[in-house]
Amino acid sequence: MMAPWFPDLAAVAALPVGIGFGVALERAGLGSARTIADQLRGRDFTVIKVMFAAIITAMLGVFWATRLGWLDLSLVAMPETDLIPQAIGAVLFGAGFAIASLCPGTACVAAGAGHRDGLITIGGLFLGTLVVMLAWPDLGAAAENTPRTSATLPGDLGWPAGVVVGAIAIGGVLVLGLAGRFEGRVVSWAPSRLAVVALALGALAIATRDGAQPSGGSLTSIAADIAAERDHVDPLDLAEWIKAARSGLRVIDVRERGADSGYQIPGSESVPLEQVPGLSVAPGDTIVLYSDGGTHAAQAWVLLRTRGITGVYVLRDGLAAWEDEVRFPHPVIGADSAAMAAYRRAAELSRWFGGFPSRTPRAPNETRPGAVRSRRNSC
Amino acid sequence: MTTARDRGYADPIRAGVGLGLVLFGVIMLAGRGLGASGAFAATAAAAVDAVAPATASGNAYVSQRVPAGVGGLFGEWLVIELIGVALGAWFSARLANRIRPGIEAAGTESRRSRVLAAVGGGMLMGAGARLARGCTSGLGLTGGALLSTGAWLFIPVAFGTAFLVAALRRRAGGLVSG
Repeated sequence: MMAPWFPDLAAVAALPVGIGFGVALERAGLGSARTIADQLRGRDFTVIKVMFAAIITAMLGVFWATRLGWLDLSLVAMPETDLIPQAIGAVLFGAGFAIASLCPGTACVAAGAGHRDGLITIGGLFLGTLVVMLAWPDLGAAAENTPRTSATLPGDLGWPAGVVVGAIAIGGVLVLGLAGRFEGRVVSWAPSRLAVVALALGALAIATRDGAQPSGGSLTSIAADIAAERDHVDPLDLAEWIKAARSGLRVIDVRERGADSGYQIPGSESVPLEQVPGLSVAPGDTIVLYSDGGTHAAQAWVLLRTRGITGVYVLRDGLAAWEDEVRFPHPVIGADSAAMAAYRRAAELSRWFGGFPSRTPRAPNETRPGAVRSRRNSC
Repeated sequence: MTTARDRGYADPIRAGVGLGLVLFGVIMLAGRGLGASGAFAATAAAAVDAVAPATASGNAYVSQRVPAGVGGLFGEWLVIELIGVALGAWFSARLANRIRPGIEAAGTESRRSRVLAAVGGGMLMGAGARLARGCTSGLGLTGGALLSTGAWLFIPVAFGTAFLVAALRRRAGGLVSG
């Protein structure tokens, strides 16, 4: 079974995971402000060593699990990227880190280990968080500069993910080696066994030249999804998703908002095409895009996929097909039993959506006259 | 040079690999990474909602973060995880006989300046983590491992600033020296 294995049981995992996190940080000495202060004076490289060793380990694990087909990375929550506010935030955070000699996670470790300064730092963190959250609407571009994205280095640099992973693993092992020498602890250049494993997995990652991970935004994977018809959803399937209140489902109308926009699929949001690149998407959202015919929706689909957003579909043949197949379905002349069963399914959905299933059979390719079909060329 | 290892702590690279395995494990199990500052955001949102519900509902950033699920604040993933962090740290420190209740001053910092630094530094980090969309755990570790672009901006900028501010503090000599 492909990971993540227990997304619904995440809350059960939280306590043991936190305990593991706390134990690892305390063992390393990161619950002591002295360790962090010594790092920032260049006396002791514990913080950098723990951080790089952890990132390299988890990064190699995620890359290889994805590569081997064990992990579906599109289901993993990815931190947001918004560069200008993040740079401002990183400067404030770094200054606070140097002053408190603890970060939010290690402040909790310090508090757990009995250090009162850890508890006091937690109080400061709460106050700082509260102030910024209350002031958020007035902070403007300092708080939100570009729309939220789940940008990744491979997507932004245009490099295969394997190359980025390999470069970070090999560069990181080098940094760890230099840190050891700087402390005067390591005398020989012979790499440790852990370093050899990291170097080997990193070099192999480069050799794969794998571009499919972690961003869903690589153009080849988008083209493959289109070719395999994983890009669209049939009107009747969408109707069933809406009826079943599928979790995270968002139906989006990308037509221009105008006085004559007329009928909309129930529950859909209106996001005109030019606003699609800035659409906020939460992890786990299933997005279905539609327009009159389907061209604009398909173009919006490509825009979202190149942002690295997965779980996006186009309504096949747009609102025109929705009208024909969901709202006003009709039996086909000479239908066999399977086609009649399909018609009955459509008719039931049609009534649920307030449509009018027709009892008059029509030729297989004939469509309901008038309605949306005449506007099909308007996308 | 006296390193944390000389004070009885584990080899940092081994501890780091252990931490990396915890992070990889939670991604595989739950489809999410580690975090810390998000728990403070959830707590602050819950506090605003409890004290001034009108303010909370008038501020989209706050209202989106008010814990709405079963169990309220204690049903929040990150809040439970952070309680686990403190428990794990207590357990680990107790096993190693390292529980030292009191204020730990870095270097020759006085107790008073340590308290001021903890409050002030904490406030700056709390503010910075909201703007940066995460802290050393959620953005640095998790985002770093997932190759998030924002994370790889945050790590050098935050650490670069921290080294710079630490050097300035040493030069000023006032708050921390030694």
